[in-house]
Amino acid sequence: MSVRVLLFISTIAVSAWGQGFKTPWGDPDLQGMWPGNMGVPLQRPESLGTRTTLTDAEFAQKEAQAKKQAEADSQSTATSDSKATIGPPSYWVERGTPSRQTSLIIDPPNGRLPPLTPQEQKLRKEARGGRGFPGEWRGQADTFDDLNIYYRCITRGVLGSIIPVIYNNGNEILQAPGLVIIRHEMIHETRIIPLDGRPHLSPEIRQYMGDSRGHWEGNTLVIETTNLTDKDAIGSNGAGYPGDPGHHSANLKLTERLTRVDANTLNYQATVDDPETWTQPWTILIPLKRDDKYQLLEYACHEGNIAMGDILSGARADERKETK
Amino acid sequence: MRKLVHIMIAVGSLLPAGAQTYRAPRAADGHADLSGVYQALNTANWDLEDHSAQGGTLWQTGTIGAVPAGESVVEGGTIPYKPAALEKKKANFASRRTNDPEAKCYMPGIPRANYMQYPFQIVQSPRGIMFVYEFASANRLVNMGKPEEAGSDTWMGTNNGHWEGDTLVIDVTGLNGLAWFDRAGDFASKQLHVVERFSRPDPYHLNYEATIEDPSVFTRPWKISMPLYRKVEKNAQLLEFKCVEFVEELLYGQYKKQPAK
Amino acid sequence: MRTGLAVVAALAGVRPKKSPILSRVTMLAAAFALLAVAPALAHHAFQAEFDSGKPVHLTGTVTDMEWINPHSWIHIDVKNPDGTVTNWMVECGSPNIMLRRGFTKRSLEVGTELTIQGYQAKNGTNRANGSSVTFKDGKKLFVGGSNPDLPPDQK
Repeated sequence: MSVRVLLFISTIAVSAWGQGFKTPWGDPDLQGMWPGNMGVPLQRPESLGTRTTLTDAEFAQKEAQAKKQAEADSQSTATSDSKATIGPPSYWVERGTPSRQTSLIIDPPNGRLPPLTPQEQKLRKEARGGRGFPGEWRGQADTFDDLNIYYRCITRGVLGSIIPVIYNNGNEILQAPGLVIIRHEMIHETRIIPLDGRPHLSPEIRQYMGDSRGHWEGNTLVIETTNLTDKDAIGSNGAGYPGDPGHHSANLKLTERLTRVDANTLNYQATVDDPETWTQPWTILIPLKRDDKYQLLEYACHEGNIAMGDILSGARADERKETK
Repeated sequence: MRKLVHIMIAVGSLLPAGAQTYRAPRAADGHADLSGVYQALNTANWDLEDHSAQGGTLWQTGTIGAVPAGESVVEGGTIPYKPAALEKKKANFASRRTNDPEAKCYMPGIPRANYMQYPFQIVQSPRGIMFVYEFASANRLVNMGKPEEAGSDTWMGTNNGHWEGDTLVIDVTGLNGLAWFDRAGDFASKQLHVVERFSRPDPYHLNYEATIEDPSVFTRPWKISMPLYRKVEKNAQLLEFKCVEFVEELLYGQYKKQPAK
Repeated sequence: MRTGLAVVAALAGVRPKKSPILSRVTMLAAAFALLAVAPALAHHAFQAEFDSGKPVHLTGTVTDMEWINPHSWIHIDVKNPDGTVTNWMVECGSPNIMLRRGFTKRSLEVGTELTIQGYQAKNGTNRANGSSVTFKDGKKLFVGGSNPDLPPDQK
């Protein structure tokens, strides 16, 4: 049986649990604050094979580690032997709660990315004469577009805006007749998804956040997104760190499925279909938990991006030192 | 009965045109439905006050970048600056090419976001009323429940709304004082307090009014008002205007390894 | 290929029927691999901004705190050995995190004495990252403590 059919069946089965939740105008109700929970790697360690969940013992280890970390975070005094690091205070994060999920990727069944196509491998090696794609950063700072699009405060892209990271994982869903809105805290994105069956934009128009069209399949919101660019990278922050899916083609087709499992759980599933980049489609699952207390605050990034100027001028200062 | 109807028609025809006020359709929340895609069709974003046509800041762009003439959207015509504040406005104007936050792709704040040359969309939902602006992906969610105070100042402010009949009233506080009102350097401080009123006088327009108050900058509160025009194209939607890349040379070019000549 | 259904069911608390038996060593290895998920890479930018060869240890009084993203900045007046005063800017984390924990723009008052440990900006300006930010009494900023100089009723 194809994976697609199985995933479809699984969402229908699961969505039956969410039958009762409807908006006043009769659409399935996905509204709420659904902040992301960090702690599940995108790719599964190879040693875990096709296991989708941790055993009790493995999970207990994870919980113990998280507890230790939380204790360290809440220590109110700096310990005498703590060494300063290059970074903000270590407790200035939102670490999330441990999860049993072994990877965000649920298909392929080994929880790992499928291979890159030969043409993509070549592209990645040769991009910008070896300096890497605009989405990613390989450490140079000759000019602003050597840095990745997250540090430049441009966007994190569609998937980069929802894959959980170490803070500001705010996601909020609002609905109106014929529309669903998904808000992401970082970087103040608002995805407006029409449900009225209107056609996509012309392929001549490309957008970082693509062009989305939604429809209901039972209680599942299915969103199809096209018109993307190839200027972001898939992964945490859309920034293409090592190990992330990274650069993709502009012809990527993204299919998301959002299903409210119960009062407090929303399953977010996304399938990446980009035959120019990966040899087969791959799918992630991010279960989201409701948190009505979470405030989705303004994250005005570019406006306060003092670091950009400092990174570039810092690199110039290093060069002047070297020439002396 | 027929005589009564005739009398009513006769009386009705004596009423001034427009006395039959339009009643906006109801949204799912039972209130007037203001949802839609809108855009201002005036020169407020160039200059809120009366202004003649004038050249732009860069002669190299010719007419592109010049400023069209426009009439004031300010009630009474002029903005009541305190003397020191007026000097700052003039300094802003002189440095506008590099200091206008719009030029730097900064979020436009309130009220400016509503009258830029880019559309915005209003969506009324049970969780609040969303204003989504095409420019720089700015947005704000208007809280329609118990008013809330924010812990910090932001570009798009803390927005608490309520209905007065079919008029949406939004009380905006917590603005960071860094946005301008227009390209002419009109500004306020962190003490800015804006009260907006949105109503729908007919199917194709919104009436927008904003009362502006900042005792550290202005001698008294003042008001702007304008129509906003519904985009009636089939399948009107916001497109993406993420402008950071258009301004990086302006902001960071001096730090590049090979500065632009 | 029962991945989707299995994952969904498993996360709902229903155990998958078969679970491979792993050796204890492999189990622990896998668990540790999963623990190390959080990229510290989000702060990669800091390493390009600040100079690991220029550690700083500053004590000064707060003149301002900018509650801005992507990183907040604390401005402090630092008295130099020669009696002059230099204003430093100290880069901290995203304010949204602390705002959600109940702190506000009023939580750090002007005049509060702070001690900063970090590294100076590569570009030589009086900017540093605040890897450690503590009050006079050693308590960390925004971790349970507050300015020890405040009268008890204001803490």
